[in-house]
Amino acid sequence: MNSLRADLSIAVGGLNLETPVVIASGVWPYDPVLWSPERLEGVGALCTKAVSLQPREGNRGVRVWETPCGMLNSIGLQNSGVRGFLKEYLPIAGKSGIPFLVNLVMESEREVRENLSILRESGDAIPAVELNISCPNADCDGMAWGISPESAARAAAIARSEWKGPLWVKLTPQAPDLPAVAKAVESEGADALVCGNTWLGMAMDLKRKQPVFRRVTAGLSGPAVFPLALRTVWQVCGAVSIPVVGCGGVSRWEDAAAMILAGASAVEVGSSLFADFDLPRKISEGLADYLADAEIPNLAGLVGLGRKEKEGGRPWAQD
Amino acid sequence: MSCGGGSPRDYAAAVLGHRPLGDGSGLLAVRCGEIASCAEPGQFVLLRPGTGNDPFLGRPLAVADAAGDVFKVVYRIVGRGTALLASKRQGDPVTVRGPIGRGFFSARGEKPLPRKVILAGGAVGAAPLLFAARRLGLSRIEKTVMGVAGKGWEGFAEWLKEAFPGVDLFSGDGTLGTKGTVLAGLPGTLPADSELWACGPQAMLSAIAAHYPRDGGRILAALESRMACGMGGCLGCVIPTVSGNRRVCVDGPVFTAEEVMWNELSSC
Repeated sequence: MNSLRADLSIAVGGLNLETPVVIASGVWPYDPVLWSPERLEGVGALCTKAVSLQPREGNRGVRVWETPCGMLNSIGLQNSGVRGFLKEYLPIAGKSGIPFLVNLVMESEREVRENLSILRESGDAIPAVELNISCPNADCDGMAWGISPESAARAAAIARSEWKGPLWVKLTPQAPDLPAVAKAVESEGADALVCGNTWLGMAMDLKRKQPVFRRVTAGLSGPAVFPLALRTVWQVCGAVSIPVVGCGGVSRWEDAAAMILAGASAVEVGSSLFADFDLPRKISEGLADYLADAEIPNLAGLVGLGRKEKEGGRPWAQD
Repeated sequence: MSCGGGSPRDYAAAVLGHRPLGDGSGLLAVRCGEIASCAEPGQFVLLRPGTGNDPFLGRPLAVADAAGDVFKVVYRIVGRGTALLASKRQGDPVTVRGPIGRGFFSARGEKPLPRKVILAGGAVGAAPLLFAARRLGLSRIEKTVMGVAGKGWEGFAEWLKEAFPGVDLFSGDGTLGTKGTVLAGLPGTLPADSELWACGPQAMLSAIAAHYPRDGGRILAALESRMACGMGGCLGCVIPTVSGNRRVCVDGPVFTAEEVMWNELSSC
């Protein structure tokens, strides 16, 4: 991306990104062709598909369902387990030359401890970890780790104690008090927060007169959720000091700019890559043009710019 | 042309021609040289009717033919996305991701082509078989059997007869061709030096797979699935196979019948 009109590089949670566009977990296959620099133009970093301790087959039945300007998914974290990841996929990711984060499933305390100790064996080959705390807490009541500040803090503390490298924690928008969860995770030493994940929804199959998905609920993503995600980014950025990575419905450079103005240091893009492989390049070019036109010297100058006090010095209401 | 190193790419393309086949089905010709020159029979594209966010996902449609810089797909309206495709006229923009997946020839590996191939198609499943027939050549095609529901498929049946000269046509209600399923038109046994290439509804493919013993000729089936990404990333389209879950989009859509766990396929 040498042709960009502005410097988009930014340091986020222990990683130096060439652009603030991160490919979200769950969308990018380990296809060596797609991990080539040519196919990753404009990408600052990638998150791998979710990695669990043991291999997981994922969910049966319908897994994806289109919705207006978006989609529901119920994939069920299908993956070949951490050993499979290290053997088959780490070499592909490592060759790309682009920073990547291993997205880690957290169902139980034991799982995440073992998983991180296995990842540690690879040393510097793993640049960073993104901890997914949207999974149900198998140690507790089945509610997702990220729902309450207490359980989210516990999850972050466990991961922090096992992983000294860059640690991003991916929050769930299902948390009733997301700013409180964000603060709790920050206090346990996370390097950055990803805000957030898919939104719980469902679909009904009118022909069969039953829910589309066997698990009934599924995660909603795509442009439909962007305004919801932007609101959570605004709230979380108002609550914490560590970098926040906006995630949810980003499908154009304008969305990325909006999240950065709200305080995000970077954005993740996911489902919209299903419509356009070239989205990271387009977002990067759009952001660079936006910075250049506004004569803002670098991306850091845009982060949180939209939070400046209103004329007259009155702060924006937080809710 | 490099053909994307085997991974699909996105192209802004335009509709070159649209031939309605009646009752909500039709043939769309799309000008996109990259797809036309790289696609093999059995591969498909994700076709998005426009450039906006709604509909959000492309519709998986098999390449029905490709020559020069034009490829064709066959659609039948099953929902909003296909209805939008059906409204396309010459010159309208469409977005295409492709070519995607493992086609009939790739699925066979290095084996030499069999002496004879039988083609079996159900409804719009005829589309990839037309492309396959063109590449195989008439002399290698032993027999072509196609099935449709019946009433409401008259225009489509006419096109089938035109596209596959000598086709044996079957319909569930008996209004078009012979009453019965595709299976009724297929030979009782499949000689080991022949192959059966099939595409159609899951029930048809399962019935074909169940009908023939494993020691006969090989059966190649092109499967359908709901999908999102078309690049092997989202894992939305997986089916159960003897080697675990496999992705219809990039591991398929063409599988050998013995790979697929037909009894465990969920109909979607």
